[in-house]
Amino acid sequence: MYLKRPTAVQPLQLLTWDTCYFHYLVPTPMSPSSQSVSTTSDAGSQESVDGGTVGRTLQWDTDPSALQLQADSELGRRMHRLGASKIVQIDFVPKELVTYTKETQTPSAAHQSEEEEEDEESSELKASPQTDQPEEEGEAEDSKEAHPRELTEEEREQILHSEDFLVFFERSVSVVERALAEEGDIFFDYSGRDLEDKEGDMQGGSNLSFNRVFHDDHWSKHRVVTCLDWSPQYPELMVASYNSNEDAPHEPDGIALVWNMKFKKTTPEYTFHCQSSVMSVGQIVLWDNRSHRRTPVQRTPLSAAAHTHPVYCVNVVGTQNANNLITVSTDGKMCSWSLDMLSQPQESMELVYNKSKPVAVTGMAFPAGDVNNYVVGSEEGMVYSASRHGSKAGIAEMFEGHQGPVTGISCHNAVGTVDFSHLFITSSFDWTVKLWSIKHNKPLYSFEDNADYVYDVSWSPVHPALFASVDGMGRLDLWNLNNDTEVPTASVTIEGACALNRVRWASGGREVAVGDSEGRVWIYDVGELAVPHPEDWSHFARTLVEIRANRGDGEEEGAVELPA
Amino acid sequence: IATFLGRKLQPRPQNEVEETLKRIQGQKGVQGIIIVNAEGIPIKTTLDNSSTVQYAGLIHQLVMKARSTVRDIDPQNDLTFLRVRSKKNEIMIAPDKDYFLIVIQNPSD
Repeated sequence: MYLKRPTAVQPLQLLTWDTCYFHYLVPTPMSPSSQSVSTTSDAGSQESVDGGTVGRTLQWDTDPSALQLQADSELGRRMHRLGASKIVQIDFVPKELVTYTKETQTPSAAHQSEEEEEDEESSELKASPQTDQPEEEGEAEDSKEAHPRELTEEEREQILHSEDFLVFFERSVSVVERALAEEGDIFFDYSGRDLEDKEGDMQGGSNLSFNRVFHDDHWSKHRVVTCLDWSPQYPELMVASYNSNEDAPHEPDGIALVWNMKFKKTTPEYTFHCQSSVMSVGQIVLWDNRSHRRTPVQRTPLSAAAHTHPVYCVNVVGTQNANNLITVSTDGKMCSWSLDMLSQPQESMELVYNKSKPVAVTGMAFPAGDVNNYVVGSEEGMVYSASRHGSKAGIAEMFEGHQGPVTGISCHNAVGTVDFSHLFITSSFDWTVKLWSIKHNKPLYSFEDNADYVYDVSWSPVHPALFASVDGMGRLDLWNLNNDTEVPTASVTIEGACALNRVRWASGGREVAVGDSEGRVWIYDVGELAVPHPEDWSHFARTLVEIRANRGDGEEEGAVELPA
Repeated sequence: IATFLGRKLQPRPQNEVEETLKRIQGQKGVQGIIIVNAEGIPIKTTLDNSSTVQYAGLIHQLVMKARSTVRDIDPQNDLTFLRVRSKKNEIMIAPDKDYFLIVIQNPSD
């Protein structure tokens, strides 16, 4: 609001008997009768309540056009302190102050008053009507001087610990971190940059390129990544589960963290706690993301009907609407659960081979589109195919080949012109990755390029001949069987990682997530390598034929397995 | 899996706030962080005192104005985030009912 010139006040004038112009107080001793004016002004120049107290020498200026601003220290100050006051007549252009006051259209005097050096100076006349407004003068000045005022240390601490503050803090930090991480200079000028751009493209073309790493010092340090999965709903979210942190026994034993690929911030979106080590995470997070608690919303009870041994694998089979959760544990038990009722398994089955030996399952996979038959890998190095229902429910066939525990198993799931769903690959402590077909109980091929335990394998969801494997030396390999079956097509050793535990492809097949034994999740872009071409399928079919032909007759065919 | 006898778990809230601030401060280009209460009084800061006071006061006014602008246009709307991009740096403000979080960043760092 601007300083009111008398002219601007015109609209107000009808209200008072005194034809309310804005009068200025001038210290000329005129007839004191106009003291009464003080109470008039409607919109409020709340001229002082004490209009008449002081027998002062102030008077309404009968000539409003003359902007004579006089020092009014007396009037102004009488509220505050009885300091020395001087009346100085100075012709002074009022300082235009833009303030937002509720009632009056006069600038708040407190601003002025704070700037005054004590009683000095020629304040605007405006100051005077306002000074009484904040009756509590002391505070008025203070509140305007909020900046210099400081909170005491205790006040600060108190605030920092308050619930309110923490809620605000957590939320704002999340938002700010996302904003911070957005690179992308909106002002960037591309015209000067063509050359560099091309270079960037080329680099992405060939190989594995490092994208980012997820690591949370607090939560994921010292924990081994036990499982990874990508969210089918929000392709940029992935969840990683971690087992117990040896160094901090008070922390929860198992946690799962949800990481967001889209925003580049480096902290997890959500953290979930669990009582026991989380060994594997399925596509459906058992913790409800909507409720903001950190403990599992549903959890299967530890009961004899369910699993008493560590659950090593979780898989969701079925369609979006009618699905089941299948879990397998190291005691050889397979249970199927309905997600609505996790208190008891819908069905459970002991996996025994030849009716005697329970299978200690370390990995499980379902072929694409099949909800009944699946394959499991075991600690002894055997792979079994099994089925859930039907006449041959239970373990059907055994696949021999590995000499060490099977660590990972993955069924082919890239959908294309040729059906390869009978293929699966396994990884094992025996340093190899083997390619199998359901139809034969000996491996089709063995990949022997690794020099350490191979911890996990995973088929690409889009490319028929591409799969990834990780081993204990920190190596991530991408094998493209159309390219070469002897050596991986792309390989990278992750620096700073010890052993890599898990590998999972993102649903688009362009990125690979790798979890290591230190609790870090590494994301790699795969680039051109991952994009399938239509002829890849037929190419792969030919490759398979070659592989089989080359297998030699050292390994006899064995009985052709019926798809159980 | 063997567990060691423990390190004591530190009390969480305060530790988290400090750590979080340190973490943000360590991010690329971040020049400073200030937390201000509703009156414009700084509560926590990583800058020196005079800068803090200056930023706090000025930004407080700016946020008030921005907020009233948003509200005047549509009374049911409210300000959620404010980014001031200048030649030299960027100021990001996450306002709340009672507090603001101000982060000053130089994006090209």
